[in-house]
Amino acid sequence: MPFKLSEEFKTKAAHICAKYPRKDAALLPLLQELQGAAGYVAEEAMDALAQYLELPYARVKGVVTFYTMFNRAPTGKYHLQVCRNISCHMAGAPGLLAHLRAKLDITEGETTGDGLFTLSAVECLGACGSAPVMQVNEDYFENLTAEKLDALLEDLKHGKHPLKR
Amino acid sequence: MPKLTIDGKTIEVAKGATLLEAAQQLGVYIPRYCYHPKLSVSGNCRMCMVEVKKAPKLVTACSTEAAEGMIVRTDTENVKNARRDVLEFLLINHPLDCPICDQAGECGLQDYYMEYSRAKSRFPQEEKVRRGKRRAVGPHLMLDNERCVLCTRCVRFCSEVTKTSELEVMERADHSYIDLKEGRALDNGYSLNIADICPVGAFTSRDFRFKQRVWFLKKTPTVCLGCATGCLTEVHHNENTVHRIVPRPNAETNTWLCDHGRMAYRAVQAGDRLAKGVIKNGLIDLEPALREVASRIDENHASAAVLGSPWLSVEDNAALARLAADALKTENFCFDFKAEQGIKDGILINQDPAPNTAGAALIRAGRGGLTLEEFARRVADGRIKVIVTEARAAAFIKDAVKAAGARLIVFATNKAEIPAGAYATLPYACYFETPGTFVNYQGLKRRAAPAVEAREGVKPLWAMVNKLAVYSGTSLRLDCAEDALKGIEF
Ligand code: SF4
Ligand code: FES
Repeated sequence: MPFKLSEEFKTKAAHICAKYPRKDAALLPLLQELQGAAGYVAEEAMDALAQYLELPYARVKGVVTFYTMFNRAPTGKYHLQVCRNISCHMAGAPGLLAHLRAKLDITEGETTGDGLFTLSAVECLGACGSAPVMQVNEDYFENLTAEKLDALLEDLKHGKHPLKR
Repeated sequence: MPKLTIDGKTIEVAKGATLLEAAQQLGVYIPRYCYHPKLSVSGNCRMCMVEVKKAPKLVTACSTEAAEGMIVRTDTENVKNARRDVLEFLLINHPLDCPICDQAGECGLQDYYMEYSRAKSRFPQEEKVRRGKRRAVGPHLMLDNERCVLCTRCVRFCSEVTKTSELEVMERADHSYIDLKEGRALDNGYSLNIADICPVGAFTSRDFRFKQRVWFLKKTPTVCLGCATGCLTEVHHNENTVHRIVPRPNAETNTWLCDHGRMAYRAVQAGDRLAKGVIKNGLIDLEPALREVASRIDENHASAAVLGSPWLSVEDNAALARLAADALKTENFCFDFKAEQGIKDGILINQDPAPNTAGAALIRAGRGGLTLEEFARRVADGRIKVIVTEARAAAFIKDAVKAAGARLIVFATNKAEIPAGAYATLPYACYFETPGTFVNYQGLKRRAAPAVEAREGVKPLWAMVNKLAVYSGTSLRLDCAEDALKGIEF
């Protein structure tokens, strides 16, 4: 089925575009809108947005794939995004990633069978001071250890941890 | 106009010129991947770094504007080390598949490695990041992402020159690769330029791949005859076979070359290339063919005519004019081809598909002749019964010929060119095999130079005309192409 931008989205988009001197400058905020609504940015959505902003499709795809914050497929209820850049790497991120892989029995890019967790390795989250860091949906969890991770996963599983999203 | 010193030499350059351009003017070559004189500056490859006195670190020459009093060095240890380091980075994930890579011999990585690096890689083969190997993208190109250095020349070419924006860098960091929309073909009429500007073996030409190692190629500068733009080109050939055509950048017409023009060489070696005459549909040796044509002309002497062609050189058209005036002794000849001219796509392709409309006009200016309308009228009302012309030019009078049942005698290089219903066809050497002058839409005279030899027995058109005249009893005394030009303002 061809993807169509909803009227609601278009109204919002017009509003967002008006804030910028050029329409194409609204690309990032509009992608965030799309992801906010669907949880990810589908291939067809990129196409529709490219047409809407009169941008080449390749440009939109290039931007979506550049930022690890954009999901290109539906994720589980909790999207675990472990930073893999230098500060976190040195502070033990590879160990945390391995721990999560073993515990959830999935690798990066996969979702657990119960649809709860998706695991990703992402680029710098800008919180080097409290490395290692993991972002869950839109919340940060800092100075992590394996024990803290275990406790966090338990809480999330039982819905005990209120998240922004 | 800033004045600066590069490697001890002083130069004054135009305001806005970059260090790389200033160095170029001095004859100092600075290595580069992403810089291209006709594309926007990207500054991403870092290969062009140079030392500027008082600057805290090296700067990229391609993106640094020349300023008054700058003292630049391109040959210090510091600069050489930087080049070596950049190369080491670029080669971390490179597959090093030169033995099977078609770019070998004209590869930016190979060339600079030999010049600046020659260092053993400190990165083990097993840990290389793998990317997509060769795959066809569009009718003309192969893309091998593992060899790409991400200079984005291809991306900028598509967005700035053809404005089709097919390509983009996808993902980031060491996952990055060049790609386009799934299912979309990279086919914008100029795609083969990407194979030229890609500094490595990532984009290669599907047509040229594995035909020839580039160091065997001989290069002949010539002109493209694909349309009235008349781009300057270079034909690459070896052992009497043409392998590819590339542009010869010049300020007047072209930096690039269209895909259509690049493929023009295929007709030279095509299976339907004519080496003999054709009478009706049967092949016949050249001499009997000429005799047959001459007798058809003789029996209709009063109603024989000559139509020049905007696809033929000035010299060959002049020879046809001599045939009309001195052998047929007729006023029924025409070198009048009017065509809308001008670049039609904003890049190179001309509205006029013929390469020499303006050259034919020179013949008309010197020798006169009928207008095309009058010529067609005389064919239609039967005053002209036999027409000697070139195969593609016959299309101009197609309807009249058909309506009146006139006899067409055409010169053609390939069987596919022969118009339906032609009575006789005589072969001639094309302009990859024989020289000729062409006048482009701007009035520039350009020489086509022979790159390969014609097949045995196949002669230039002027020589065929000379022979034909002898068969019908006159000598035109054409010993070379230029002989026909006497009396033509040229
Ligand atoms: S494919 Fe070639 S031109 Fe394009 S970015 Fe890679 S190296 Fe540069
Ligand atoms: S040529 Fe200057 S950075 Fe690439």
